[in-house]
Amino acid sequence: MAKKILQGIPVSVGVAIGHAYILTRDHFCLAPIQNISEELVEQEIKRLEDAFELTISNLKELKAKIPEEQTEYSSIIDTQIMMLQDPKLKHAITKYIKDMKLNAEWAVEKGIGDIEKTFNGIEDEFFKTRISEFKLLSRKVIGNLIGAGEELKPIKSRVILVAHELTPADTVELDVSKIMAFVTAQGGKTSHVSIVARTLGIPAIVGIEDVENQILDDEFIIVDGFTGRILIEPEEEEIYEYTERQISFEQYKRELFQQSGLPGKTKDGFHVKVMANIELFEEVSSALDYAAEGIGLYRTEYSYLYRSRLPGEDELYEEYRDLVSIMSPKPVVIRTLDAGGDKIGKGFEKLEEANPAMGLRAIRFCLKFKKIFKTQLKAILRAAEAGNALLMFPMISGLEELRDAKRVLEEAKNELEKEGKSYKRDIPVGIMIELPSAVLVAEDLAKEVDFFSIGTNDLIQYSLGIDRTNKYVSHLFQPLHPAIIKSIKHTVDVAKRAGIYVSMCGEMAGDPFCIPLLIGMGVDILSTTPHSVPGVKRVIRMLSKKECEDLLNKILQNSSVKENNRIVKEKVFDKIPEELTFYTSFFDN
Amino acid sequence: MKEELVCSEVIINNSLGLHARPAAILAKEASKYKSDIKIIMDKTEVDAKSILDILTLAAPKGKSIKLIAKGEDAKEAIKNIKSLIEEGFGEL
Repeated sequence: MAKKILQGIPVSVGVAIGHAYILTRDHFCLAPIQNISEELVEQEIKRLEDAFELTISNLKELKAKIPEEQTEYSSIIDTQIMMLQDPKLKHAITKYIKDMKLNAEWAVEKGIGDIEKTFNGIEDEFFKTRISEFKLLSRKVIGNLIGAGEELKPIKSRVILVAHELTPADTVELDVSKIMAFVTAQGGKTSHVSIVARTLGIPAIVGIEDVENQILDDEFIIVDGFTGRILIEPEEEEIYEYTERQISFEQYKRELFQQSGLPGKTKDGFHVKVMANIELFEEVSSALDYAAEGIGLYRTEYSYLYRSRLPGEDELYEEYRDLVSIMSPKPVVIRTLDAGGDKIGKGFEKLEEANPAMGLRAIRFCLKFKKIFKTQLKAILRAAEAGNALLMFPMISGLEELRDAKRVLEEAKNELEKEGKSYKRDIPVGIMIELPSAVLVAEDLAKEVDFFSIGTNDLIQYSLGIDRTNKYVSHLFQPLHPAIIKSIKHTVDVAKRAGIYVSMCGEMAGDPFCIPLLIGMGVDILSTTPHSVPGVKRVIRMLSKKECEDLLNKILQNSSVKENNRIVKEKVFDKIPEELTFYTSFFDN
Repeated sequence: MKEELVCSEVIINNSLGLHARPAAILAKEASKYKSDIKIIMDKTEVDAKSILDILTLAAPKGKSIKLIAKGEDAKEAIKNIKSLIEEGFGEL
């Protein structure tokens, strides 16, 4: 037996065997606090100045590593350097060394505290929050005073990354090609780390409390992305067993890949198109590699994050045009901005919402800040000329919101007309069905759009009132809850009656236990992460529409989640036993 | 060289006002000159060479500020700083 076994939530399949790399980015170092004697004042000031110099040269080194095209990022560093060079900042700190005889570390904290007070007096929330940049810098300076740098230690060989939490910013900074697997304390199946892991096709386990302290740096571990188990210091037999498993999984993946060109047609000839969800332009290559029949969801948020300014129309146009023309004649569904001020930054974070998930985000944000919205719409309209693009609005709750969004779309068209730019006038327009209210008024909505796309992650979250990243309630995130099955069924039925097509782009679309139910309902398109496309197609090929309908009817008669889970597990396992060995699902293992 | 006192008024033009990046650009530009340069907004006077000072002004877009420079290169300093602000620090 291994020295220790940890159990977490598996969020991306696969096996990784190797050394742990503990990411300790935010661990706070306690600054020593002490008084100094008069004669040490000069020396202490010199120490402070050296720490400032060192911090500045650290920043310059970091800046040198940034690729030239990321000018936004390097200008942030320039600003930080300017702040450190500001005599006022240094004076605010040195006066504590001179007058109060504090040591340098303490003086930094006191000095920054004073500056914070000044900033707190500012009424404008945007400027008020700038204090965080000074605090960040002060941490770097204190780190250098103590002699503990804040930098991420370089990853030398391929490792298993262990962290408390992994943010989008971390993944930008890390060399992902050297990471074999992710293990985090925070997160759920649909959090950032899970999506990244599935996109990279590497295993990931989340939800292990205090994992960053339970595993030691460089310890030899096995990550089992099928069951969520982590084996610390495994025995030789265990290493052997998992190596076998790793090899057979690789073989299965190769086989799948070879068959990826085959369509997702059921045994009785019902064709379900399988497309890819992507969020980075670069992922288009994996969508093509895995033979996706189109981009079922292009998340456009990335162009708005980590920038010091909002992207312009031409910049967005070029990005969308390239994507649309590469995929042409296959369709690309471009979803308009689905984020709130908290993600976009650039002054919008001052909106300070207690509950951003139910706040000013997605279509609501766009309708409030119409200029941002229109810029994006114009870029999409122009890019649509390059191939087969479709436009999709997120988070539509009812008819007025849809009409308001379409009105802005018309304005965007008129502006393009006036500017004499060419664009696609009759671009198909669809909406995400992800709010329970949209399900209930789907009939009205269907009359005014060309397609529906069901976003199950949010639909489940909003219908069941579950924050899926909250580990205390994440087990209640139940896709087979009768309310969810009925909501999806209703949406699909409405779309069929209205003669518009319906796709599904949430996690359910890639879950082998859910796919039979979706086929039974008659969903036209399943859109999932690029690397699951071949697997989803293969599952479809192993089923018949008839048996899927039978299963669905059985489920529809039930009112218990447990019962639904049991039936689906049993039936699906009968049909595709070997497939399920290599899948994670919403179901507990 | 004779010492001059030059004064000028200018309106903040870029969308987010004098936030960190513009403040850094402004302080950097101001630091090039020998003259003593101040920014006055609503009776608050700050040092134009200090990014910290500029940030505490929290000057939003559309706000009018006064620039005062005293020194041998005052004229040139005001001219260049003014045009930086008018051009919106390249953000427009």
